[in-house]
Amino acid sequence: MNLEARWHTLHGWLGTFAKRAAALFCMLSLIGCSGVQSALDPAGGDASRIYWLTVIMTVGGTLIFLGVTSLLLYAIFAPPERRAWLGTRGTIVYGGLAFPIVTLSALLPYGLIVMRDTDVPQEGALPIEVIGEQYWWRVRYPADGRQTEFSTANEIVVPVGRSIAVSVTSADVIHSFWIPNFGGKIDMIPGRINRINFTAERPGVYRGVCAEFCGDQHARMAFDVIALEPEAFEAWRTEQAKPAREPEIPLLARGRELFRVGGCGSCHAVRGTEASGQFGPDLTHVGSRRTIGAGQFPNNIGTLAGWIANTQHIKPGVRMPSYGSLSGEDLRALAGYMESLK
Amino acid sequence: MSGRRTGQVLLMVAGLIAWAVQFTIIYAVTSTLCGRGWADAAFLGFEIVPMTIVSATLVTFSATLLAAVWSFRNHRRKGEQPVSGADSFMNHVATLINGLSLVIILWHGISAFILPACA
Ligand code: HEC
Ligand SMILES: [Cu+2]
Repeated sequence: MNLEARWHTLHGWLGTFAKRAAALFCMLSLIGCSGVQSALDPAGGDASRIYWLTVIMTVGGTLIFLGVTSLLLYAIFAPPERRAWLGTRGTIVYGGLAFPIVTLSALLPYGLIVMRDTDVPQEGALPIEVIGEQYWWRVRYPADGRQTEFSTANEIVVPVGRSIAVSVTSADVIHSFWIPNFGGKIDMIPGRINRINFTAERPGVYRGVCAEFCGDQHARMAFDVIALEPEAFEAWRTEQAKPAREPEIPLLARGRELFRVGGCGSCHAVRGTEASGQFGPDLTHVGSRRTIGAGQFPNNIGTLAGWIANTQHIKPGVRMPSYGSLSGEDLRALAGYMESLK
Repeated sequence: MSGRRTGQVLLMVAGLIAWAVQFTIIYAVTSTLCGRGWADAAFLGFEIVPMTIVSATLVTFSATLLAAVWSFRNHRRKGEQPVSGADSFMNHVATLINGLSLVIILWHGISAFILPACA
């Protein structure tokens, strides 16, 4: 094969490759470039700094890679007299020394500045404590001004525009707390408190995940992050701090009785009732949450009943037994009671 | 190896040694002080951690600058008296390594001006 023919083959490959890469990128971007769990759709300061760092590094790296590759191909395929300049001292000094030094001298301070600006705790931040447990998230809002302390689970609600100071730790093994739309990851280590700060810039529903393998159900350990306007957040907070609602109809009262006799209260707290277990998620306002089972199922009476009756089937290895022997009616009453706890 | 060669080799790696010294000082002092919770410890009004980074940088930078100038002059002198191919090559490389070491030592030092002492 002569040079010309080789060049044509190569040219053909490159063309196909570029087309495929573009198609793949569009496909990925449709799925990955926006959404509730995407680092490519930043909704907070840290996340957008990390996003721009990624864009600059990727685009810059790609351009340099393409430039170097073209020079390489030129060095191989161009006629000797035309490629001679590639071997001169000037090319080596400017292209091989000056260019990398200048580029890296710009990137290094930029990277250090991103590092410095990420993670700075702000004045008047809202403190939230999150404890990773196999395989769910305990979320505590400490007392703040007039607002009293309370616990919830698998859901973090934050006001838009206010700095959030999250302290994380773990009750068992190492987990990692990650809300891609708001910033980087932070490890949750038993016996240690780590901190991460972010500010939600726009209202919306986002999703966080456990980013450190922590056991069987690691992949089903997610949580919802809901960014609300400040007034809506205060209203939510006031509601959450209240004790649980009284059952309004006999069916729900029956559900509460089943909850009591079934021993659910030894693991779960429902504030305002005698259920005060601290082992599992606080269920005082479980009906108000978007999802159950650590971000796994939408929250409605059907999924609640399914969860209670088949816990070990739908999330095997979880620290809650299945209650498969409840009659259909009892299950409906119990799930209805859970759902009524708005 | 003759004494002259040893000197030449030393000069060739002088910048790298200075860089290693800077590295060791910065890491040792920063991790010890930060680990002990002395992030804000100050001496004569200067915070110790950034001051250590800056002075280690200045000292190693100056030493490397000397080495760079020296090797550059050796390299330049080659026109005046006949030198062997090996000498010429070593002088050339020494200039290059010492010059690059200057850059890397500076890169190492700038973090003191951007990042908090113990982050
Ligand atoms: C041995 C302790 C234990 C007992 C007893 C127990 N649970 Fe649970 N429960 C848990 C744990 C742990 C979780 C978190 C599971 C996960 O997602 O990893 C949980 C989760 C739940 C959830 C989902 C909460 C959420 O926000 O995702 C509901 C609802 C629930 N339990 C209801 C009940 C009911 C009703 C009973 C009694 C019939 C009961 N539990 C008995 C430990 C227990
Ligand atoms: Cu986990």
